[in-house]
Amino acid sequence: MIMIRLENASKTYQTRHGQVRALDRVSLHINEGEFVVVRGPSGSGKTTLLLSIGGMLQPTEGRVLIKNSDLYAVSKKQRARFRAENIGFVFQLFHLVPYLNIIENVLLPVGVGRSQYGQEDAKKLLDRLKLMERMFHKPAELSAGEKQRTAIARAMLKNPKIILADEPTGNLDPENSEEIIRHLVEFHSRGGTVIVVTHGKAVDRYAGRVVHLKKGQINEP
Amino acid sequence: MTTSRLILKEILQRKLNFLLSLMAIVIAAALFVSFFTTGEASKNETIRLMRDIGFNLRIIPEKTNMEKFWRAGFSELTMPESHVYELASHGGISYAHLTAILQKKVIWQDREIFLTGIAPEISPPGKKKTPMIFSIDQGNVYIGFEISQSLGLRKGDIIDIFGKPFTIAQSLSESGSVDDIRIYAHLHDVQSLLNMESQINEIKALQCLCLVDNENMNSQEMLRDQLAKILPDAKVILIQNIATARESQRIMAERYFGFIIPFVVIVCMSWIGILAMLNVRERRQEIGIMRALGYGSSKIGALFLGKAVLIGLIGAVLGFGIGTGLALKFGPAIFKVTASMITPQIKLLYWAVIVSPAVCALSFFIPSMIAVAQDPAITLREE
Repeated sequence: MIMIRLENASKTYQTRHGQVRALDRVSLHINEGEFVVVRGPSGSGKTTLLLSIGGMLQPTEGRVLIKNSDLYAVSKKQRARFRAENIGFVFQLFHLVPYLNIIENVLLPVGVGRSQYGQEDAKKLLDRLKLMERMFHKPAELSAGEKQRTAIARAMLKNPKIILADEPTGNLDPENSEEIIRHLVEFHSRGGTVIVVTHGKAVDRYAGRVVHLKKGQINEP
Repeated sequence: MTTSRLILKEILQRKLNFLLSLMAIVIAAALFVSFFTTGEASKNETIRLMRDIGFNLRIIPEKTNMEKFWRAGFSELTMPESHVYELASHGGISYAHLTAILQKKVIWQDREIFLTGIAPEISPPGKKKTPMIFSIDQGNVYIGFEISQSLGLRKGDIIDIFGKPFTIAQSLSESGSVDDIRIYAHLHDVQSLLNMESQINEIKALQCLCLVDNENMNSQEMLRDQLAKILPDAKVILIQNIATARESQRIMAERYFGFIIPFVVIVCMSWIGILAMLNVRERRQEIGIMRALGYGSSKIGALFLGKAVLIGLIGAVLGFGIGTGLALKFGPAIFKVTASMITPQIKLLYWAVIVSPAVCALSFFIPSMIAVAQDPAITLREE
């Protein structure tokens, strides 16, 4: 069953140096439970594609459909709710909130709308991600690998249908990279849809499909 | 994670930003509280000081034709001299100087002059005051500048007025007024010369105040009311310049407050606004990730406005305490007359608790809107 479909999606940015076409008539579908890697060099439009799928960046042209519903045809508020309930984000720079400790960072998504998830779920996740001892530490006191595991725990807390990961291993050593990928694979094995954008090949072997992006265009082999 | 918990955690993380914002509102609130706490005393002190100057009055016979009075400069009617003593001895009126006058325009040495009889000034019981007008002994006269110049008269000369000899005790310098054609003598001498024994046509009362309190009247009305009871056949003319000066003083004080208040508010709001702006810049990625997690505009806005309200509330309480402390410590030394009026004004705390959070929220408004409007797709890509 198709989970995500992009139909001729284009995104143009206006910069001081003129227009930049980050996505150029991209058409792509991703099935439910699929593990997809979007690979391409820096500036190829990978992050733009990911944020568009995540409902955070409206394409200039074309459509993004999630389960056949146009993601950008609804209000911002509805899109935010959809994101809160269905999508988990993992970023290269972790983006943890510096003044919250680890368990509070993991619980951050609970602050949106009504949630059945709470502290016990957060603790189970931290246990699974080997972060129990760091539960009350601030992000500044953690290693890069621990920070990214915290970000993964935060992304997984509300048991989303999709995880969108933007260069999740970009700031990690090989050992920590492997561990992060392993957690993403575990999420996928439980039926979740994973889209990882990266410029490296480390994740390719876990992916069901690798999509190549170059100058904003899909270049599937 | 509740909004209030997020606000508290952020404050604890970025203490300096919070303390600087708090300092701005504490300074503003303390300034207002000390201003208003001492301001009441200042206002009352001004009123008291100005009121103590009192009113300068001319009391003339009630049936005086005022058109003629203003034209001639005196009343053609008379009233008993005893009126001045009745007024002096009445307990309901305080005064600094009282004097009875009889004056008339007469022809003397082929010229029109004002012959003015002045009784010795009456001072309040127990208070020896320097005479505000003249104190002329019987048999002596003071002559105006124009008369002395035109007739070549000097101090010590003896002149004849209507058959009676008088010694010139003083030749007055030029006044540029009708006083230059005036001869002043003792009241009783003038009464005798004009055959108007025990009669006067004016009482001059300087720094006159009503001592009977009536909440429904201002001090001027009270004084007129009281005088009407003491001297029913007299009317009172208020010499306006003192009243005008008092009014000007009040208006000036109000304008000063009117200038300083908006100035302080604007400076503090700008200060808080700049700090809020820096706070928003520092939290761009945090706002971005919250957006990615599904936080809406109202929740993001609430994080900033909630912080503003908290700063306002704490600032109000601290500002009230500090402002009151400063007023109590330094106020009595400045406002000596009304020092006892400098007391903690609890109503200012209520005002501060309402106004300070509102001012803070207003200062945070633009930065909050900028935070809400930030595009997370841009901030999350920033390194």
